[in-house]
Amino acid sequence: MMKKSSMLTVLTAMAFLTAACGGDEANDEAAQADNVNNELNEEDAEVTDLGADDAEVELSFWLFGATGYPELAEEYVEENPEVSITFQEIDMEDHHNNLFTALSAGSGAPDMAAIEVSEIDGYKNAEDRFVNLNDLGAEDVEDDFLDWAWEVGSSVDGDFQFGLPTDIGPTVMFYRADIFEEAGLPSDPEEVEDLLQTWEDFEEAADTVLEETGTPMTGNPETLFNAKRDQAPEHYFNEEDELILDSTPYVEEAFMDTSEMIEQGHVDNYGMWTPEWGGAMDDGGYATLLAPAWMQGVVKDNAPDQDNWRVASMPEGGGNWGGSYVTIPDQTEHPEEAFAFMEWLLAPEQQQKAFENMGLFPSTPEVYEMDTFTEYSDDYFGGQNTAEVFAEAALENEHVHKGAQYGDVNTEILDGLDNVYDGVEPEEEWEDVLTRVEQRISR
Amino acid sequence: MSNTLRKDMHTGTEKHSGESENNVKKPKKPKKRLFSQKQKDMASGYLFISPFYLLFAVFGVFPILFSFYLAFFRWDGLGEMEFVGLNNFNIIFNDPLFWKSLYNTIIIGLMGTAPQLIVALLLAFALNSVLIKYKSVFRLAVFLPYVTSIVAVAIIFSVIFSNQESGLVNSFLGLFGIDPITWTRSEWGAKVAISAMIFWRWVGYNTIIYLAGMQAIPNDLYEAAKIDGATLRQQIWHITIPMLKPFIIFTVFTATIGALQIFAEPHIFQGRGGRPEGISIVLYLYRDAFGSNFFGTASATAIVLFFIIIIFSAANLLLVNRIGRSGKVGEK
Repeated sequence: MMKKSSMLTVLTAMAFLTAACGGDEANDEAAQADNVNNELNEEDAEVTDLGADDAEVELSFWLFGATGYPELAEEYVEENPEVSITFQEIDMEDHHNNLFTALSAGSGAPDMAAIEVSEIDGYKNAEDRFVNLNDLGAEDVEDDFLDWAWEVGSSVDGDFQFGLPTDIGPTVMFYRADIFEEAGLPSDPEEVEDLLQTWEDFEEAADTVLEETGTPMTGNPETLFNAKRDQAPEHYFNEEDELILDSTPYVEEAFMDTSEMIEQGHVDNYGMWTPEWGGAMDDGGYATLLAPAWMQGVVKDNAPDQDNWRVASMPEGGGNWGGSYVTIPDQTEHPEEAFAFMEWLLAPEQQQKAFENMGLFPSTPEVYEMDTFTEYSDDYFGGQNTAEVFAEAALENEHVHKGAQYGDVNTEILDGLDNVYDGVEPEEEWEDVLTRVEQRISR
Repeated sequence: MSNTLRKDMHTGTEKHSGESENNVKKPKKPKKRLFSQKQKDMASGYLFISPFYLLFAVFGVFPILFSFYLAFFRWDGLGEMEFVGLNNFNIIFNDPLFWKSLYNTIIIGLMGTAPQLIVALLLAFALNSVLIKYKSVFRLAVFLPYVTSIVAVAIIFSVIFSNQESGLVNSFLGLFGIDPITWTRSEWGAKVAISAMIFWRWVGYNTIIYLAGMQAIPNDLYEAAKIDGATLRQQIWHITIPMLKPFIIFTVFTATIGALQIFAEPHIFQGRGGRPEGISIVLYLYRDAFGSNFFGTASATAIVLFFIIIIFSAANLLLVNRIGRSGKVGEK
């Protein structure tokens, strides 16, 4: 048996060591946990070098997701032999963590970095960490892009341009033709669009669907609330970044409308991205999915043999969910060359190729006029020209200021809607949401 | 050790020779060197261990100290730091969610670890008994959950503890006429599911540690006890547990610290990065720092957690120290 004093020493050392190890583990877990959001996609960084080894200008470009940009850029380095480009592709969560760290530390950032649309407002207080693209001639290409998509990449006053828009996520209504038919409703996309012009129409159809088939209209409160909120002229913060949940009616209305549909049984509670939610796409757990264009890939993955999904415009107009921006961190030594490449990469011709290759929905409306779009048809959606439906939503959308703490507020509201689903009174829950939001963002 | 000895002998002779003045052939005086052998040995020793300490200084000590510093500032990670004194502590202490996360951490910690250590002890005892065949198979089977990734565990368990009526646990409960439980969002459902994950993943680890301890206990003690007519219960209580004391202390310590750092389970299981029913204190600070970019309040939370861990460890030490003593009293 050890002496007491020596045992104490050993234990203290042990406690310290385990605490230290524990810390590492927590980081590890965090990284792992974040990967889950990418459906357990634990691929390492993929690095692609393009161009000559002895090129005068060596550019680096960090991006995430499946963009196919390295393949596209081969043409560029062939035409511009003085430039070489190194692409680093990793999953979205790691990408943003790495970029944030490099910008915060003031070293290690690439010449070009993609930023996801939901993250970009978090960087807008840090103009000194980025190159103002307007200084490089961004204003000349502004007209190529959708107005609202451009404004998301600008400072509030529009003087500072953080990034050029890459792809976007115009939102539409995916619906199950078989469930609509079973309920005695029209199932052809054009007829469905005529039928579901407003949210009132949507609710009436939901009543019919529920009565006739027993199927809820939507899979979870989140998608329904997002769709309604995105049609509001103001969301959570005003342009001075003050919380306006209390002073404007729009978000509260969206919350109450969603709650009402929950209480009537039109909304199920499949958590987004859970296996059950994906499974229900296949076996008809819900009649509609209010979601962005890129969700078609998720639907096809989850229900590969299902041939009843169709696409129609969202009642009262679509919004935007997802997409990215390419920025130039101010640590770069080659801002002009980086911008020249970005300008080329995001020009309509290249965006058209990115759409054909990887399904990235273009932020340049010129592509919507091209044959790629007008003659598009998707067999999965019964041969429908889905691209035109998405394009229509993209053209209708308008810019709304979001703010750095947008995600925090959104989480609290969605948690609140789940609580309503569990039986809490909507009015009571809304008051609670306001308290929680206040607590969370004022620090 | 041997070097110092040699040096002592050396100086010894020197002293001796100094005393006798007649001795002409006195040994040469040691050459003046820049560094003595002892210093050189020390230097090489420090060099050998330096990689760890250098890395630890950069990736361990510095972040720890910086986090203490940050706790007094308001900082979003990109902009200017603003000194706010104790305001960060003021904010978190006035946040009901902070207290909720502390409460959750303690409750989930107790639910996840206390039964786990007891079950691990019994499992280890069973694995150690002579009655069981294919011991290595069982040992491996018991230990296997430990090597799985927490994330994978959390995902599998969210399917098992699904809110849907068709979820595995809910449909099992349905057989007994129990209504489906909203596992991810109900106060106790979330805690039970999260504790179950912790239990499942760690019970094997502790079993193996106890098993190692038990194998060090000489068999004659049990034989003697059996001859004296001790029951199984008495054997466990009066031989196994007192002899295992250092191992129990180790597992209680690691389990306590681990429990205070619960993070991935609620983060993944509850979706959207956690909810009030399951949020732990580490998840609370993680959300603050990496979700909202409030690094000041997150650092303040980390410091509070640091002191909580110290308090709990000290309390543990006092409590666990009694285990062996009561055993010995009974033995008399």
